[in-house]
Amino acid sequence: MRLVGATLYALRIPFVEAFSHSATERRWSDSVVVRVRDDAGTEGFGEGTPRPYVTGETVETMLEHLGRDLWPRVAGRDLPPAGHLAGLATFLPETYLAGALAPNAARAALELAMLDCALRRVGRPMASVLPPRRTRVTYSGVVTAGSVERAVQHARRMRAIGMRHVKVKVGFDDDVARVTAVREALGPGVTLRLDANGAWTFERAVAVLDAVAPLGIAAVEQPLPRGPVDDLARLRQATPVPVMVDESLVTEADADALIEAKAADFFNVRISKCGGLARSLAIAARGSAVGVGVQVGSQVGETAILSAAGRHLAAALPEVTFVEGSFGTLLLAEDVSVESVRFGHRGEAPLLTGPGLGIRVVEERLRRRAITVRELSTEG
Amino acid sequence: METKTVRALFERQVEAFTGSPEFAALEAGCGDYDAFIENVARAHLKSPQLVAFLYALAPPAAARDLLGNLLEELGLEAESERPHPALLEDLLRAAGLGHRLVEVEAQAADDVRRIVTEPLLYGTLREVGLAALTEIVAFEFMLSRVSGRIARALATHHGLAAPALEWFTHHSEVDVRHAEQGLADLGAYAAYYEFTDDEALTIVEMTLRENVFTRRYFRDATAAGTPR
Repeated sequence: MRLVGATLYALRIPFVEAFSHSATERRWSDSVVVRVRDDAGTEGFGEGTPRPYVTGETVETMLEHLGRDLWPRVAGRDLPPAGHLAGLATFLPETYLAGALAPNAARAALELAMLDCALRRVGRPMASVLPPRRTRVTYSGVVTAGSVERAVQHARRMRAIGMRHVKVKVGFDDDVARVTAVREALGPGVTLRLDANGAWTFERAVAVLDAVAPLGIAAVEQPLPRGPVDDLARLRQATPVPVMVDESLVTEADADALIEAKAADFFNVRISKCGGLARSLAIAARGSAVGVGVQVGSQVGETAILSAAGRHLAAALPEVTFVEGSFGTLLLAEDVSVESVRFGHRGEAPLLTGPGLGIRVVEERLRRRAITVRELSTEG
Repeated sequence: METKTVRALFERQVEAFTGSPEFAALEAGCGDYDAFIENVARAHLKSPQLVAFLYALAPPAAARDLLGNLLEELGLEAESERPHPALLEDLLRAAGLGHRLVEVEAQAADDVRRIVTEPLLYGTLREVGLAALTEIVAFEFMLSRVSGRIARALATHHGLAAPALEWFTHHSEVDVRHAEQGLADLGAYAAYYEFTDDEALTIVEMTLRENVFTRRYFRDATAAGTPR
């Protein structure tokens, strides 16, 4: 099996409702989808979501990196067998992108597309390389930023659809009032997490967390900006609320440093951020080995492609405490697959059992929703 | 759940729909009329099935209204001569889109299939019914106020004659009554199935969190942040 062609789609799918947090506001998906084709005509799809404030990638640099650095090094070569995820991941060479922490979104998109293609070619599901350990996945809801009234409205919606785990975006002047109001709207039976997206100072983090801890907070995600891990370790000692790392956890080296410093109670593992399934598995395994809990996170505005990959990862990990994503058309005006990947009542969703990633991507939708389409061949 | 609160939400949706650039283009003679007509047909070809579903869930106080709506959709009420899907087929043919009928029918059927196969967000039919009734009544509310403008735009700028536009003219006349009934039926539904005001309003707001008219009639233009 040789890859003979690829198409890159920079998407702009409008959201049905703006999504905001302390670092940014999004009104549309800005994913990059990769479609690869092999010499038998089999196609595979992958997706990455560049985030300048996380991996340092942008849509433009991701497209350029895929076309200039990654694709030429896999095009025309014989791929490892479909059943060998680690082999497929090492087949994809290590690359660097100037100005970026790591070109992980690009890598993830190509890795997923190759894996999808390799599995489809032999008609096998993802379960053949990532055996599931559970029969369904339970997702968390998210309360985005905005006024406290809007946060309460979102929390009521989460309650109406029976979500059992909810995360609320914080990092604003009214954090304590916000969290208190959300907790009141959700009631006591829902686990509540906070996500500051690195917006707090150390002192602010301690003050807010001390104030809201009695409300029952399961974890606080990225309370401080990415920086010295010792700051997170110190915060972990200073607050009763468990600390989850997200922007601080991009590479396997990050995971090692965080473990060494005892700086995290939870790892938020996101496939696009972490550079694909193989590296996400490796990071999660490092955490689990030392008792660090794992959340399978998602990218705001991801399409069914990345959601499907996240579903497989969440189903396969030995231990997973929280799972995010699979909002589908709850957030996107249109998703790209025939099958809906959106979770249902209580945030529950079944496994995807079809070949490859388990979804059928509608190429026409990609083309219609793309602001840029680039064709790549074995000639580059 | 107070009717005035729901009415205000509907009014905001209608205002955003008629204030959208796509609607303005329709009235200004530069809209994508073929796409619009196809989208309207796709949105409403299966209305009899959806109204039948709602009739099955209707509380006693709303059952009579919903049965009337269903009979009308099916062309079985005295004042209505033809089934509404047939009026939409007439519209497509008159617009030169007869060759697209099979495809639009298939799309409408697929939309119903998607509703049935997607994981349910709500725990019981009680909530599903309220969400579905909200959307149906929202369309009646909008059509009672806007379908005349749409018909005029299609006649003026797309050359469609009155018989082809009967689906719109019919709705502008009938839906004034339907819309008022529908608002009352929403309240009756919420009361009969013992929703608290907060619960009912949350489901209504969630159903209307994006502009349902823009989403159905201008499919490629749905955008976050559109004022409602």
